[in-house]
Amino acid sequence: MRRRRLWLVVLAGVAVSLLVTSCFQSSPDYINTSKTRNIHMIVKMGRGDYWNTVKLGAEAAAREFNVKLTFKAPDSESDINEQIGMVEDSIKQKADVIILAASSYMGLAQVVDRAAYSRIPVISLDAEVGSAKVKSYIGSNGYKAGQRSAERLIQLLDGYGEIGIINFTNTALNGETAATGVIDYGARDADEREKGFLNYVARYPDVHVVQISYTSSSTAEAEELTRLMLLKHPDLRGIVTLNETASQGAGKVIQSLGTNRIKMVAFDSSPSMLEMLQDGTVQATVIQNPFSNGYLAVKHAVEIVEGIKVPERVDTGTKLIDLENMLWPENQKLLFPFVK
Amino acid sequence: MPRNKSRFFPLRPQRREAGKVRLSSKLRSIQLIITLTFTAITVLVAIIVSLMLYNKFSATAEQNANMNMQQIIEQVTYNLDLYVKGMRSLFETAEAQITGSSSITSPLLTERMAMLMGSREDLVSMAVFTPQGHYVSGTPGQRLRQNTQLESQSWFTSAQRASAIAFSAPHIQNLFKGQYTWVVSVSKMIQYRENGELKTGILLIDFNFRTIDQLSKQVKLGNRGYAYILDALGNIVYHPQQQLIYAGLKYENVEPVLEYSFRSYLDESTGEKRFITVRTLPQTGWKIVGVAYYDEIVTTKRDLNQFLAWFLAAVILGVIIVSVLLSARIARPIRKLERTVKLVGEGDLHTPINVSGAYEVEQLSKRFNLMLQRIRQLMEQIIYEQETKRKGELEVLQSQINPHFLYNTLNSVIRLAERGKTDEVITMIQSLSRFFRISLSKGSNIITVQEELDHIRHYLVIQSFRFKNKFRYEITARDEVLQVQTIKLILQPLVENAIYHGIEMMPDEGLISIDARLQGELVVIRISDNGLGMSPERLGMILSGSKSSSGSGVGVKNVNERIGLYYGREYGLSFESEIEEGTTVTITFPARRDARNETEVKEESP
Repeated sequence: MRRRRLWLVVLAGVAVSLLVTSCFQSSPDYINTSKTRNIHMIVKMGRGDYWNTVKLGAEAAAREFNVKLTFKAPDSESDINEQIGMVEDSIKQKADVIILAASSYMGLAQVVDRAAYSRIPVISLDAEVGSAKVKSYIGSNGYKAGQRSAERLIQLLDGYGEIGIINFTNTALNGETAATGVIDYGARDADEREKGFLNYVARYPDVHVVQISYTSSSTAEAEELTRLMLLKHPDLRGIVTLNETASQGAGKVIQSLGTNRIKMVAFDSSPSMLEMLQDGTVQATVIQNPFSNGYLAVKHAVEIVEGIKVPERVDTGTKLIDLENMLWPENQKLLFPFVK
Repeated sequence: MPRNKSRFFPLRPQRREAGKVRLSSKLRSIQLIITLTFTAITVLVAIIVSLMLYNKFSATAEQNANMNMQQIIEQVTYNLDLYVKGMRSLFETAEAQITGSSSITSPLLTERMAMLMGSREDLVSMAVFTPQGHYVSGTPGQRLRQNTQLESQSWFTSAQRASAIAFSAPHIQNLFKGQYTWVVSVSKMIQYRENGELKTGILLIDFNFRTIDQLSKQVKLGNRGYAYILDALGNIVYHPQQQLIYAGLKYENVEPVLEYSFRSYLDESTGEKRFITVRTLPQTGWKIVGVAYYDEIVTTKRDLNQFLAWFLAAVILGVIIVSVLLSARIARPIRKLERTVKLVGEGDLHTPINVSGAYEVEQLSKRFNLMLQRIRQLMEQIIYEQETKRKGELEVLQSQINPHFLYNTLNSVIRLAERGKTDEVITMIQSLSRFFRISLSKGSNIITVQEELDHIRHYLVIQSFRFKNKFRYEITARDEVLQVQTIKLILQPLVENAIYHGIEMMPDEGLISIDARLQGELVVIRISDNGLGMSPERLGMILSGSKSSSGSGVGVKNVNERIGLYYGREYGLSFESEIEEGTTVTITFPARRDARNETEVKEESP
């Protein structure tokens, strides 16, 4: 008798629980925003329109997904140690996710491994880092971007002439040879772009890359390097710059020359660069999607915390912009962040 | 059901399946039936009521949310309409001033234009161009850029095409040095004077998004809901996540929106339920689209959902507990009763039944107890009666051949024979022989009244010889009574009694009279003597069964009991007696006739 009553109650309990669970609908398929998440974004540099736009994108995502975004950047792209220190701080502060645009491919590898050891997922933004622990890479394909840039410059030069490259790196040494040490301390994106450019140019025997200069990250230094390069190679017909500061510096020098002799293909889309594009100082620029990069990095960071699988690589693409297509509506949207 | 039982109660040892359709007796128990029906009905009712409530409430909530949202969007539309009207009137003011001015380059006009520009902070730039795209005049201080490609820009072409005020889609203003800004351009072909000459040109005024943003930010449609603005061609004029859409990170399904100018519908294209409300500004053709997330805006519904779920769970649990307890309370006394009755059925009549519980059950138990008591009484009675009957029959059997009586009688016969009274000897022997014949009467217990009367007559004949005419006797009987049946040897003990106790001690001659008659359906036989009579104490002793004073035959009490056993307790003997007067014994029993023994009626008298 007792046992039967027990069974009856158990049976009823099961029925009730079934009923209750059936009443609750399964959770919806969007990211849960009820909890605030701590996401640290460490980029290469605090200055520059490019990084500002990245930050805008990250902040947009942070607002959307209820993220407390901590944005950190050293003053200079070359300051690897400061960036390492920032990553270490973020590990100490127990960030939920660290988004890192590494100034050095190898230089930050160790600290990224340490973050992974502390169970903090790391997402690479723009520049990859030499660690297998990175959950996802978000950025553009630097190699392709370099090829694209080369393709246009060679077209502008009708396939012959001397070319100078102004690239960027972290090493404070601004010599002609960057890789002085055994370890490659360059930023991965810079290397990739340069490689892409050189590989494309190598197909044209009449085109010679006469000098590659490396700037750390100041416009003034880039200007100086450009001037030196022009002095050294008076027959220079084309200049290619591979990041924003380099582009701005070189652009200013060419603008001041006031000649149409030197063709230039720039990188990234700061407003001043677009002015120069409209002026005709710069013939083309390769743009990335900094806003998308920032946005997607934060979004995927939240997804990782939520346990949603994220893609290993997200290529946000590059585009070549020139005077002709810069005002096409779809390019307007890419070039000019919609700031209210 | 019985098949499923093993699944419900797997721990219980399996029993043979009794019937195909019949539920097992355990499943038919009152408790289970009450529990199941009670639970089922209550749960059913609770579920039906909850569903109805849920539907009603959720429909209302949905309706309210929808209406609320429509009101919000209408409000935004209204405000935006005012804003667009403001733009338009500003444009018209500028146009009137330019057209009315004597020269476009006059300082007065420049000053007025500057004032107009300063009046609103959402104004970015103002300029007049020739239809060929050459810059004529504009806000002071702005320098035109090179390579503007303005001839191909939409504000320019639409102003050339139509004469009405044209509102452009959002675009980058690239005309003037300084910042690149996102603007909405308002443009129109106007007339202006330059150097006294009337010319046509295109007036352009650019507005930034500050005010539109402010208007749209007021929209609160839940936490995630928002409003956006489309132009007539489906370009997004304003969106809270405009940059995300521009960067291709977000997507807004505008096609169903474009088909209607005034509409509210539920959209599920993104996989989530969203309320979409569309309103259209009449002047620009802009559409204001409100997007609210269904599950967010209809929070009441979810709350209700949750509440009802818990409520139902609680109710069902409560009902199950209550019904189990209730049914146990009802069923327990019944089950106890059942068990006790089973014991009784197994033969233990002394089981006490003390079941407390519901009134009915208590009464049942009480009545059952009474019944049991009665059964016990009756059984005792039956046992007693059976014993008595057997004893009586034995006694009757004994009295059939009474050795003492035979010895006395034979003594009398010898004496008569010695005296040579042959006739009397013959009579005596004859009577004795008949007396025994009737006594034995082939072993039957039942004889007719006539035979019984014959029997007693022979007895009296014999006794009158023995007692030397100490008494007389008379036997009277009605004809109708003679064929009635009676148990035998009921008169002889009484007559014997009358002789030995009533008449023998009398100095005078006694008289014994026997009278048999029918009174209604009753046979009444009276045996009266005029002997010594009895005291009331003695009378009582006779029937109460104290020892018969004479061993000569069957006792008076035995007669009474035999009649009682055979015919029923209400029949038997009654005595009337008075000292020195005599005694009358009345035998009463129901008249029963045996059809097969219809002999001729004879009346006999001495």
